[in-house]
Amino acid sequence: MIAAAWLCLLAPLAGALAITFGGQRLSRRAAGWLSTASVFVAFGGAVVAFFAMVGRDTAAQRSELSTPFTWLSAGTFHVGMSILVDPVSIVMMLVVSGVGGLIVLYSIGYMEGEDEERRYFAYMAFFVFAMLLLVEGGNLLLLLAGWGLVGLASYLLIGFYHQRPEAVAAAKKAFIMNAIGDATMALGFFLLIAKTGTLSYGASFAAAPHLSSTTVNLVALGLLGGAVAKSAQLPLQTWLPDAMEGPTPVSALIHAATMVTAGVYLIVRTHPIFEQAHHVEDLAAGLGAATLVIAGLIALVQNDIKRVIAYSTMSQIGYMFLGAGLGAYANAMFHLVTHAFFKALLFLAAGVIIHHLAGEQDIRQMGGLKKFMPKTWLVFLVGSLSLVGVPPFSGFWSKDAIVATALARGGIYGWILFVAALFGALLTGIYTFRLFFRVFYGEPSALVLEHAGAAHGDHGHGTESATGHSEHAHGEAPQTMALPVAILAVLSTVGGLLQVAGAWHPFGRWIAQTGAPLVEPTTSQDWIVSVITVAIGLTGSWVAWAIYRTGRLAVPSAPGLQRLFEHKFYFDELYDAVVSRPAQLVASRLRTDFEGPYVEGSLVEIGHAGGDAGGLVARLQTGRLRVYAFAIAASLVVLGIVFLAVR
Amino acid sequence: MMGPSVPWYLFVAGALFGIGTLGVLLRRSPLIVLLSLEIMLNGSNLALVTFSRHFGTVDGQVFAIAVMAVAASEVCVGLGLIVAVARKKLALDVDLFSELRG
Amino acid sequence: MIASVGNVLVWMVWLGAAAACLGSGIAVVTLTNPFYSALGLIGNLASLAVLYLLASAEFVAAAQVLVYAGAVMVMFLFVIAYLGGRADAPWAGGSTLFRVAAVVAGGALLVETLVALLWKSSRLSHSASVGPSFGSPAEIGRSFLTDHLLAFEVTSIVLLVAAIGGVVLGINPSSDEERAT
Repeated sequence: MIAAAWLCLLAPLAGALAITFGGQRLSRRAAGWLSTASVFVAFGGAVVAFFAMVGRDTAAQRSELSTPFTWLSAGTFHVGMSILVDPVSIVMMLVVSGVGGLIVLYSIGYMEGEDEERRYFAYMAFFVFAMLLLVEGGNLLLLLAGWGLVGLASYLLIGFYHQRPEAVAAAKKAFIMNAIGDATMALGFFLLIAKTGTLSYGASFAAAPHLSSTTVNLVALGLLGGAVAKSAQLPLQTWLPDAMEGPTPVSALIHAATMVTAGVYLIVRTHPIFEQAHHVEDLAAGLGAATLVIAGLIALVQNDIKRVIAYSTMSQIGYMFLGAGLGAYANAMFHLVTHAFFKALLFLAAGVIIHHLAGEQDIRQMGGLKKFMPKTWLVFLVGSLSLVGVPPFSGFWSKDAIVATALARGGIYGWILFVAALFGALLTGIYTFRLFFRVFYGEPSALVLEHAGAAHGDHGHGTESATGHSEHAHGEAPQTMALPVAILAVLSTVGGLLQVAGAWHPFGRWIAQTGAPLVEPTTSQDWIVSVITVAIGLTGSWVAWAIYRTGRLAVPSAPGLQRLFEHKFYFDELYDAVVSRPAQLVASRLRTDFEGPYVEGSLVEIGHAGGDAGGLVARLQTGRLRVYAFAIAASLVVLGIVFLAVR
Repeated sequence: MMGPSVPWYLFVAGALFGIGTLGVLLRRSPLIVLLSLEIMLNGSNLALVTFSRHFGTVDGQVFAIAVMAVAASEVCVGLGLIVAVARKKLALDVDLFSELRG
Repeated sequence: MIASVGNVLVWMVWLGAAAACLGSGIAVVTLTNPFYSALGLIGNLASLAVLYLLASAEFVAAAQVLVYAGAVMVMFLFVIAYLGGRADAPWAGGSTLFRVAAVVAGGALLVETLVALLWKSSRLSHSASVGPSFGSPAEIGRSFLTDHLLAFEVTSIVLLVAAIGGVVLGINPSSDEERAT
């Protein structure tokens, strides 16, 4: 099991290094396949490890820590280069490598013809490695290392189109906001080291109940800060929509399925610490609930297909945070898994559309695509139903479990969270089907006719056999793109059956081996909530149908609210005014008032002083013999005085 | 010893040295500078001889002879330089030979 | 009586020689005509020879007259004669500050000599007594060839180098080329 886990971790790294060092010697195709193969090898390793784990009987046996060597040791503080394979990490490994592999495969078709493909595939493999390091890391320090590396990979991939200034700006924004999270996490870790002397999971979790409440609250806050930044929750959520500047597979992999879920994984992994800090847990749940509502509201007015899906991601991660904050770790992880399936599906399907329309992303330019891209229509429908939470698709099983947990928590706070979750479900229905109907129904726009109208003839994208522009089986996308989409569609359909609330809980029991849930809804709560949530979701979908499909209802006119949503609740403006401008102002003032005159000036002055001193000394070199002779005579006089005085 | 004692001789030697120094520092013609230099050397010669007499060993006198030989060599070379300068039709002025100016 | 007369005689000779020495030294430094300066130096050397004799350094005195006054000064006079009018050496030149500083330095040296002799010369009161052969050529020669042989040899090398240097400085390129063609 451990060997397979190490293989899982290192295969993508090997792939990335091979592509990097292969350079021009590898063809672009070869780089793409090499990257894909390395990630699938990782998936194979994860599968093998999973089955090995299943073969073991007890929870204790299923959790294994492997430390080949000590990485860092300073006094009594030791950190090993270790990986932890346990039920939670194996789930993450399977999702990351599996969905990752599918997406890298998809990229082969999507990124064909782009400049610098090899760089892209190397970055993708590197990202998978970094994410696996994060989830497999056997102690908090390795988790932090993986954390930072995925942030780096995200930066590199968002800014992949580095000639576009918007992409570069978005990459910087993502990295800086992630860095804030990294900083709070690091501070939390420092405190933990100071109080417990260790960063290994076992030791620090065992020490958690014995720490003072201030300490444990601060550490949990630090961890929450990192989770919030990485998962784009309030208040550090503004980077995620901008991150859509990266290529669509990147958005699918990093900003939907894996990296942004790292925050949820963190909370689940460090739950012993969080369980000691109840207020921070409640805060996490509250932030999740707030984010899911706000993101849903903003998604209502977005016109870029990728941004709608991005806000939807933000909202769904809010659900996961809600679940994790309430202590329903299994439910949160389950939603993570199903969300990976259907969100990646939606992004990849959107990518097919974008690819087909030669890069157009504005839904106002789309419409009536159903008859031109029927297969894409179908998978998009599957993804949307899953997202809204309609049975039997996977989203239903996982999302409702979380909402039921909110209800089961009880208390005023529990009711607030419950209502927020329900409102979020309504919004999800509206914006998802708004998107669906706008893209696929209605009159085809001129752009659509131009690109998709010729779909079954001239617009064939390259097949594996270079037979030129010919119609092939799918017509909408090459096989490398269609296959992953199809697989994800299947998974979105049946993946939910991993856990049927109230009847069958294999997933719940699996995760509970690592972390028992704090709140478990009763079976009747589960069923009631499911009915209510589905009803609300369908209501939202009906509203969207009424407005956008049939035109029976008009869009309610509320210009103030509309402006608020379009400006994303003015978060960007707020941060610009409160953080960005003052920072720039301080920096420029420091430059002109301090660094210029003092630091730079002092160096310049030292240079001048050196020159002046040299000039003074140079005056001694008159070249005149008599002056030199005088100097000798004068020294002689002085020496004579000295000798006379001393002796 | 008969006559003035050692300090008297030394006074003359020191005075000669000082006079020679003044000449080196204050005159502009290289010839005169060389002559003043000779005076300084002679002053030190006198001091050497005096101390040799004071201690009763001939080492001082031996050294004085060596100094004389070196002085002769130095004058030979110095005069050669002056003649070379004069042949180049340059003015014989110590202050003008300042190409080592920094 | 004879001894005291002898002493007085020695004192008179010494004082005369010392006066001549210092006076000619001043003459060398102050006269503008280089020829006169050279003559002053000859006088200086001669009076020094007398002083050497009074200090029982007979060989040194003889060498002084032969080598210094005889050979070195003749060289000087030759060069002065060669240079003719160009050798004239007026006093002008140098900044005032420098002249003042130089006078101060030279004066300081003189003062220091006085100070040293007047206040610190207690150990110089009793000189050793020497035999009649003290400064004779035999003594000098023996010392050169036994105790100070290295100095002797090195000095001869210095003389050789100086001679070569003198010849090299005296080469006149144009006249040699003419002779070559």
